[in-house]
Amino acid sequence: MSQQPTADPGTSGFSRRRLLAALAGFSIISTLTMIVAPILGFLIPPKTSGAAAGGKVLVGTVADIPPGQGKVVPVGSSPTIIVNTDQGLNAFSAICPHLGCIVTWDPGSNVILCPCHDGRFNPTTGAVLSGPPPSGLPAEEVTVEDDQIFVVSS
Amino acid sequence: MTTDNPPTSPGSVDDWFESRLHWRALMDALLHVRVPLEAKTFFFGGMTLFLFGVQVVTGTLLALYYKPTPEAAYDSVLFITSDVSFGWLIRSVHHWSANLMILFLVFHLLRVFFQAAYKYPRELTWVVGIGLLGLTMMFGFTGYLLPWDQRAYWATVVGTEIAGGIPFIGDALLVLLRGGADVTEATLSRFFGIHVLVLPLALGAVVAIHLVFVHQQGLANPTKPDPRPPAVPQGRTKPFFPHYILEEVIAWLFLLAMLVVLSSLFPAGLEEEANPLETPAHVKPEWYFLGVYELLKHIPWKVVGILTPMVFIVLLAVLPFIDRNPEVRPRKRPLAIALGILTIAVLIGLTIWGYYS
Repeated sequence: MSQQPTADPGTSGFSRRRLLAALAGFSIISTLTMIVAPILGFLIPPKTSGAAAGGKVLVGTVADIPPGQGKVVPVGSSPTIIVNTDQGLNAFSAICPHLGCIVTWDPGSNVILCPCHDGRFNPTTGAVLSGPPPSGLPAEEVTVEDDQIFVVSS
Repeated sequence: MTTDNPPTSPGSVDDWFESRLHWRALMDALLHVRVPLEAKTFFFGGMTLFLFGVQVVTGTLLALYYKPTPEAAYDSVLFITSDVSFGWLIRSVHHWSANLMILFLVFHLLRVFFQAAYKYPRELTWVVGIGLLGLTMMFGFTGYLLPWDQRAYWATVVGTEIAGGIPFIGDALLVLLRGGADVTEATLSRFFGIHVLVLPLALGAVVAIHLVFVHQQGLANPTKPDPRPPAVPQGRTKPFFPHYILEEVIAWLFLLAMLVVLSSLFPAGLEEEANPLETPAHVKPEWYFLGVYELLKHIPWKVVGILTPMVFIVLLAVLPFIDRNPEVRPRKRPLAIALGILTIAVLIGLTIWGYYS
């Protein structure tokens, strides 16, 4: 009488042990996901509407910025520098593209200056003159109506 | 590690605890161990731990009066400094203890480096130690914003901007750190939460791991490498308790005196209240970030300037796995010692340059 070969439960393709291990692994991963996902979601700040959604913003009068002078003014939540040069009023983002410091007008050298790493910008074009900033200051649209200065916020 | 068994008398407090907690075995394992007579730690690690303890106590006291909102933070720090009894002292001790904690952590790191105590079997203790350095720097960075003065605000703007310059993850990291696009009340809330809850718990846990490792391995002997396979050290030893601990406590008392003297002579200052529209002229970060700040001024590619310190920290963390030379005496490891001295010279040079530029 020949003996029929029987399947060994330990070496078959999908044993009970492997099934339980897979289920345990799935439970651990899903539990961790359940805990980590809301924590990560909570850490990412919700989108806010922002202070300025575009439009013309009154930033001062011509008397505030005489020729050869410059001033940093708030436009919504982003600071803007207005400079009064021979070519008229120019406006640029006041945030230095190097490390985010606020640039200032340097009346001695007639340039826009970043106080953090001494980056210098052209007051007419916003281009980098010297220092480490990787790019110039983005220009912003400025208009004058009845002695009042407006910056067109995008 | 060998242990001592001190004599005890029946009916003593020691006996009372022993009958309830098997106290003696625990104390034998924790305290009654021996350290090599040649081991010279200069107590730097223990002093750093003591300063962390000072930070926990003074930080908890400051949190009783501090208000973490942009409208109230600055005034609450002024109130602590001017009106609360000993407020100036508690705040100044917190300030000086933070600075000294970083200083002694660096001394501890240098001591371990020059004595080659990061080599077998202590590689993981070194890696965990570099983690402690990172956590301590984060403590400094997050705590710096809390007074909400000009220096605090702009150091945070620049610091988070540096994090934002990391390729691929920078933009997301910047928003995550600031709680938005700009440094606002959301940033202050986050930094406060991280500074007073997340980091103390994290540092406490990682220090515990560090100490367990040190306890398991014992102090390194700077005159000869540890035997492979591990064996009980054969050289001359002395008891950890009370001999070593007593000397350590003397170092702690010296530090406490130093904190009070520094706080009295140079109390923690406060600049004008933060103004997001005006970066003050010649603004600079705290001394331990000054080298990186100066590096960013001179490297024309911003991303290179940002990644250089990070690569340095990673290389430092994996040092035990790069340096395969088993020798521990300085004269038998000339390359490591030369590179170490060169690195220190560059860091000190950049810091001094940053200070005077």
